[in-house]
Amino acid sequence: MPDTVQFPMRFGSSSGQPVTRRDGIAKVTGTATFAADNAPANLLHAVYVSAAIARGTVTSMDVEAAKAHPGVVEVYTPDNVPPLPGDASSKPFMFAFRFEPLQDNSVRYANQPIALVLAETLEAATEGARLLAPKYAAETPRIGLDGNAPFEIEGGGFGLPGTTVHGDVEAGHAAAEASVDLTYETPEQYHNAMEMHAVVAEWDGDHVVLDVPSQALVMSCAAYGYYLGIPAENVTIRCPYLGGGFGSKAALNGPTVLAIHAARLIGRPVKLMLKRDQMFGPVFHRGATRQRVRIGVDGDARMTVLDHESLAVTSSFDDFIESAANASQGIYSAGALRSAHKGVRADVGTPGPMRAPGEASGSAALESAMDEMAEKAGIDPLEFRLRNYAETEPGSGKPYSSKALRECYAQGAERFGWSRRPLAPRQMTDENGMLVGWGMGTALFAAPMFAAKARAVIRPDGTGLVETAAADMGQGAWTVLAQIAADSLGLPLDMVEFRSGASTLPDAGVAGGSGHTATAGGALHAAGQDVVARLAEMATADPDSPLHGAGNATIVARDGRFWVEGDDSRSDGFADILARNGGAEIEGTGGANRPQEAGAAHAMYAHGAVFAEVKVDPDLFQTRVTRLVGAFAAGRIINPKLAESQLMGGMIWGLSFALHEEAKYDMRTGRVVNGDLAGYHVPVNADVKGLEVITVHEDDPYVNPLGIKGVGEIGITGTVGAIANAIWHATGTRIRRFPVRIEDLLAGSR
Amino acid sequence: MAIRFLLNGAPEDVEADPTTTLLDWLRERRGLTGTKEGCNEGDCGACTVMVTDERGSRALNACILFLPQIDGKAVRTVEGISGPDGALHPVQEAMVAHHGSQCGFCTPGFVVSMAVAQLNARTDHDDQLAGNLCRCTGYAPIVRAAEAAAHAPVPAWMRTDAAAVAGLSAGDGSSPFIPSSADELAAWCEAHPDATLIAGATDVGLWVTKQLRELAPVAFLGRCADLKGVEIGDDTIRIGAMTTLSELHAAMADLHPGFAELIRRYGSVQVRNAATVGGNIANGSPIGDSPPALIALGATLHLRRGDERRDLPLEEFFLDYGKQDRRPGEFVEAVSVPRQPDRLRCYKLSKRFDQDISAVCGCFSITVEDGMVTAARIAFGGMAGVPKRASAVEAALTGQPWTEATVAAAIPAFARDFKPMSDMRASAEYRLRAAEGMLWRAFHEDAGHAADVLKVRA
Repeated sequence: MPDTVQFPMRFGSSSGQPVTRRDGIAKVTGTATFAADNAPANLLHAVYVSAAIARGTVTSMDVEAAKAHPGVVEVYTPDNVPPLPGDASSKPFMFAFRFEPLQDNSVRYANQPIALVLAETLEAATEGARLLAPKYAAETPRIGLDGNAPFEIEGGGFGLPGTTVHGDVEAGHAAAEASVDLTYETPEQYHNAMEMHAVVAEWDGDHVVLDVPSQALVMSCAAYGYYLGIPAENVTIRCPYLGGGFGSKAALNGPTVLAIHAARLIGRPVKLMLKRDQMFGPVFHRGATRQRVRIGVDGDARMTVLDHESLAVTSSFDDFIESAANASQGIYSAGALRSAHKGVRADVGTPGPMRAPGEASGSAALESAMDEMAEKAGIDPLEFRLRNYAETEPGSGKPYSSKALRECYAQGAERFGWSRRPLAPRQMTDENGMLVGWGMGTALFAAPMFAAKARAVIRPDGTGLVETAAADMGQGAWTVLAQIAADSLGLPLDMVEFRSGASTLPDAGVAGGSGHTATAGGALHAAGQDVVARLAEMATADPDSPLHGAGNATIVARDGRFWVEGDDSRSDGFADILARNGGAEIEGTGGANRPQEAGAAHAMYAHGAVFAEVKVDPDLFQTRVTRLVGAFAAGRIINPKLAESQLMGGMIWGLSFALHEEAKYDMRTGRVVNGDLAGYHVPVNADVKGLEVITVHEDDPYVNPLGIKGVGEIGITGTVGAIANAIWHATGTRIRRFPVRIEDLLAGSR
Repeated sequence: MAIRFLLNGAPEDVEADPTTTLLDWLRERRGLTGTKEGCNEGDCGACTVMVTDERGSRALNACILFLPQIDGKAVRTVEGISGPDGALHPVQEAMVAHHGSQCGFCTPGFVVSMAVAQLNARTDHDDQLAGNLCRCTGYAPIVRAAEAAAHAPVPAWMRTDAAAVAGLSAGDGSSPFIPSSADELAAWCEAHPDATLIAGATDVGLWVTKQLRELAPVAFLGRCADLKGVEIGDDTIRIGAMTTLSELHAAMADLHPGFAELIRRYGSVQVRNAATVGGNIANGSPIGDSPPALIALGATLHLRRGDERRDLPLEEFFLDYGKQDRRPGEFVEAVSVPRQPDRLRCYKLSKRFDQDISAVCGCFSITVEDGMVTAARIAFGGMAGVPKRASAVEAALTGQPWTEATVAAAIPAFARDFKPMSDMRASAEYRLRAAEGMLWRAFHEDAGHAADVLKVRA
């Protein structure tokens, strides 16, 4: 193994620059191809029939009518569909969720697939599905947090948060001179990426090529392979672009697997694209929670205890518990800490990871409760947080790998003008008589790393080629990973070709957990280092090279050349080295993973502080967020333009959580009554005013070799509470049920 | 017959079922996949296209636009926003430079909306883009891109449709039926009393895309020139049934600015460009936003069957939920309102501020002379199964001094006028309280107290 070459990473030509996204032109011209844009020859269209009840059985379907409709080719129901080779009721791997391959006539949630129609046209498939006109024997659905008896969570693991305790919680409660004991509720939310889930499946023997949006390309091949009964290498996923994912495209879902299965059965390519209303059922969501937060403080407003319990809804047949109470870990210095979870089973689709899963819901409750505690203690909410600032990770006592939260508080507060905030509520109005309120919250998100691999090549002409199967769901992987790769090769960005978005490339891991840039970027960096070291060794061993005998340790790579550090007279170009040494390209590989000992030695988080201003109509209680300032410290920022936009988008999700998003269930049928973009509100452009993002510099030598933390999810945390707290500050009314509703404010005003 | 239109500058002749949407045709038949489906019901704008006819260029949602509606017009999709030689449009350049595209799925729709706004020299970017949803960016970079491109020269290719469409012959209008005058429509309606009349299809489109209903027989009214437009006479304002909400918005800007402001929040640009006044009345929705304002202005509805015409006060047209006083074969020809000093105040309350269905929409026209209320017309949407007047409240105000005491005394009358329902948009109690609050607001505004919620600005 050759010695590593030095990299001027932190001063490089690419990383740290606000490079414009490289896929921008494809996207603005409509030439970027999303899964459903593909249409291979001989294509059949699939439409699945959604269950109109949430619990019970399908008693009949008019298969004859559907089959008789011109253009309908096949109708699959539990009566005729051959079983899927893999067991859809098992959980054979970490991210496996149980689903319905039409195994029987039972209905477990509304919008569950109960039949699949294949037809020559989309219209014929749609009409065939309608003609099936299913009849049901419905049972009373169990919906919501009170729809069933809570259960204790055993085991732990993915989607099953347990109980975490640090210190003596009872003693912490007993020691408190003042305390709050508050209960908050958060609703079911549905990801609703702009691109619906879709797949185009084309089989060739026992190989299948899938155009499908995926946040984890290589990992998903193994998962599809399991269900389809073929080896992972027989599955190819092409996914150059995802129209948003937010977690819902990280795991496999039932309708997609069913469509792929159907393509094999019928012997023709099949396309399935969910309709928007079908996004409310089989493709995951954020489960509702009811959280009890108890905080105790001593006479100096220092926390003696932070005790957070959460009850979360999961499905009747699988487990994914929103790990909300864990949001109270790692954030504030308290004498004792407890995070505990329980579940409740309802007749809904299984929840799954949705942008900041657990953190978003938990932060909403925690940051609201912190504000209430500060109010009770009679001190400024920011001062209260500073007074309980965690210098080391609470509970574990581990040092933080880096933590510029104090700077985030300071810079955010300064920009926002926080020091002018009156302590009491209902003190500010604007020139139109609107009630004005200011609130804040702390943002926190772990900085994980997963496993990834990459390949890097320097070609005979001196340009670079790098490969890893990354997923760009909008966050900018095509751009930032190329920037990292270019630096690792010592090449300018425009001399590096980056291949990604296909499962045939080295595994880049999952685009999730805000860890993709760190992970895939780390692998690319390692692969680049590897190939450059090989090339440098070739040069220093080459008597004809000006670098001959220098040794890798003295060499730096820059602009497609090697230089002996401190001696500009000794330099050699990549292409020249290769030309003199056989003329072939040279290849390197690399991987990234966080060593266990690194994780054991340091607590690793991104931090932030969010400040919100709201204006509330004193008569109608219409609420508008008029300013949001977020200051975030997330390690090294590879591309400020993209990172700030990610943070901003996260804050908008926080705004949406606070004021808009909520699935409303008809308690009689268990159906979502607002299952479309007209009724399921996400903010529109005009809802969003005065948004500002500050990134605070952090040099983190421990988190990973590149010093990268994630920015994809942290923006939601802190924001929800900040807005709720601002609403209280404007109105004097505490609303502990999200989203904040006008009618609750109205009720609170009396 | 074939539908004939220009697609990105080149003629297309299409044989298709009359309720095939332009979006399905583009993506499934024509293989132009830049235009995206995000909701298939006009909520998200991912399918926005530019449509040009003799009245100009506008943004429309392709997902609820039936092919016969573009007969004889020019359509430009995202693929045609770039130049014929591949040159980027200024809005495309700005979207890239300002990072206005992240996942990219909503981007084609934004690009078309922005290009149309740029062509029409519109710089009210927030309004122009309120009909396009984005789940990634937080919008700010998109608005910055729109601002950056606003004053760039309009590319030449964007102006070619207007000229080209003048020389384009449309289909013959026989099947599906596309009449070119109200007379033709009247004769046909008499012969087809069960027909569905399709104006802007912002509601009827959903009958097809969401409810999967069969609509035959259908008539498309887009070519009835004599049903379009607003005539402002000395005594009367006559609004043709096929007048779009965008056109009504422009006409009301000076006459009744409160009505215009209400229309600004009616749907989105794409919806207002398609939706018609006649459709908004004839579909009888209890939460349509134009009837309350029109009723408050004392509107008269003009109905026609064959050569027989009848007029009635607009509020009398709405009999019960889903039931209107429209006889078989009859159609809405126009609605007219008397010219009057502007006393109209309109309040639309919705959960999301823009592009949302009203929980309550209240419109007030209260005439005050010498401090006394001499006349009051108050109408609400969302408070009953139909758009409805607040007769008891009107009576409690009329003849009384226009004072706080009078308003306070009138408030209990709301409960006599309305028994609103609870649904996911609002509870019955909230609706009632909000309606009461709107009267207070109307009073305070009239007294010169600042109270306009729309003036909340960052």
